Amino acid sequence: MSHVSDTIPLHASSQSDIDEIENLINTSIQSSSSTVLPARPPSPPRIPVSASPFIQSNLPPLQPKPQSTIQKPPSIVPSAPLPPLPPSSGNSAGGSISGTGFGSPPNTLTEPVWDTVKRDLSRIVSNLKLVVFPNPYREDPGKALRDWDLWGPFFFIVFLGLALSWSASVKKSEVFAVAFALLAAGAIILTLNVLLLGGHIIFFQSLSLLGYCLFPLVIGALVCMLKDNVIIKVIVVSVALAWSSWAAYPFMSSAVNPRRKALALYPVFLMYVSVGFLIIAID
Amino acid sequence: MDPIQPPVENYANPKTCFFHVLFKAGALAFYILSTLFFNSFVIIFVVTVLLAALDFWVVKNVSGRILVGLRWWNEINDLGESVWKFESLDQESLARMNKKDSWLFWWTLYLAAAAWIVLGIFSLIRIEPDYCLIVGVCLTLGIANIVGFTKCRKDAKKQFQQFATQTIASRVSSTIQSAFSVV
Repeated sequence: MSHVSDTIPLHASSQSDIDEIENLINTSIQSSSSTVLPARPPSPPRIPVSASPFIQSNLPPLQPKPQSTIQKPPSIVPSAPLPPLPPSSGNSAGGSISGTGFGSPPNTLTEPVWDTVKRDLSRIVSNLKLVVFPNPYREDPGKALRDWDLWGPFFFIVFLGLALSWSASVKKSEVFAVAFALLAAGAIILTLNVLLLGGHIIFFQSLSLLGYCLFPLVIGALVCMLKDNVIIKVIVVSVALAWSSWAAYPFMSSAVNPRRKALALYPVFLMYVSVGFLIIAID
Repeated sequence: MDPIQPPVENYANPKTCFFHVLFKAGALAFYILSTLFFNSFVIIFVVTVLLAALDFWVVKNVSGRILVGLRWWNEINDLGESVWKFESLDQESLARMNKKDSWLFWWTLYLAAAAWIVLGIFSLIRIEPDYCLIVGVCLTLGIANIVGFTKCRKDAKKQFQQFATQTIASRVSSTIQSAFSVV
């Protein structure tokens, strides 16, 4: 099943690379010289901290071999989607396979810190899209948030605290501290709750998920910051609350025994409701 | 007070060392000095925690790789289990690492964590839970990096020992074989 994720085209460029390979194979077959693609194992599936798709650079060159029989090309193509690359930008995973150290030459270590930043940012965006917006992976939650990261949740919690603190006219610091502590401790406790109910969830994955599901509430808080009408606030917060709960539902419910679904989901809902009340009540 | 004098010779990666120290020192300095300038706790919190988070990212992604050749991360494998991975350069590259770089790396990690612990004790004594929150967050980030890199280094040493014993064993066996083939 690991190959399912490996064969999903990650970039438009990967599709064109496969076409390139096929074209080269076809032309070489036509010229009746057999070419064999070097069979290499697929590269490791994850780049460490900023796990992200490989940037497709140079393909391994086709090596013509003096053979009389024409090799069958199609078996090579399925392994092409992730051809192992010379470690390109930033912190590539490479190197450890061949045992010659990192394999990332010094110039890629020094130059693209910016590339690492961009990769982390794109990971945040992709995680956000996976969690909060409708997408085909919601049926298999464990796979969806495979590349968890805590930067998104961190920014959302801080942002939510800032929004609440700004809307408050008095006691700004207490509001911020309470919001931050509530969200951070709440996420940890909710994860422990699922684990103690005998659920199968990974600690950091769950923290990451609960943090990303705060996104609708962040939007709700922003809107409430601009408009001061109580009725509008209630409506906006209810919508945001429903959205957050809908986002968190599949991940939490799939992690536990079906008979204990409500036990796992109710505290999540409770936490989001309390944040919603904070948003409404602040004036 | 501090008996250790930093060496004044050349660092191999001065820019990386600078950034490695910059955010740690910035977070500590801002936390200590901010009460002179800002009245608002929120600004102190956000800026300090932001600097600490930036420092965590820089140490984990950049200076760990460049200064000491270590890297650690977490993966979730296909079975849905979380696996902590530790990676290090091979022995020749590790031996070629600049000693001053790695000295700076480790000592600043430990000193920063110790400084946060001291500040945390102060804020506990003064019973300021808000500031304990800041200290808690920064300390968590610092300790995470320390634990990660220490495990990485131990793993590297273990791998090197395994590799060395393997190499010795294979050398011995090949020597014996060649001796027998000669005979």
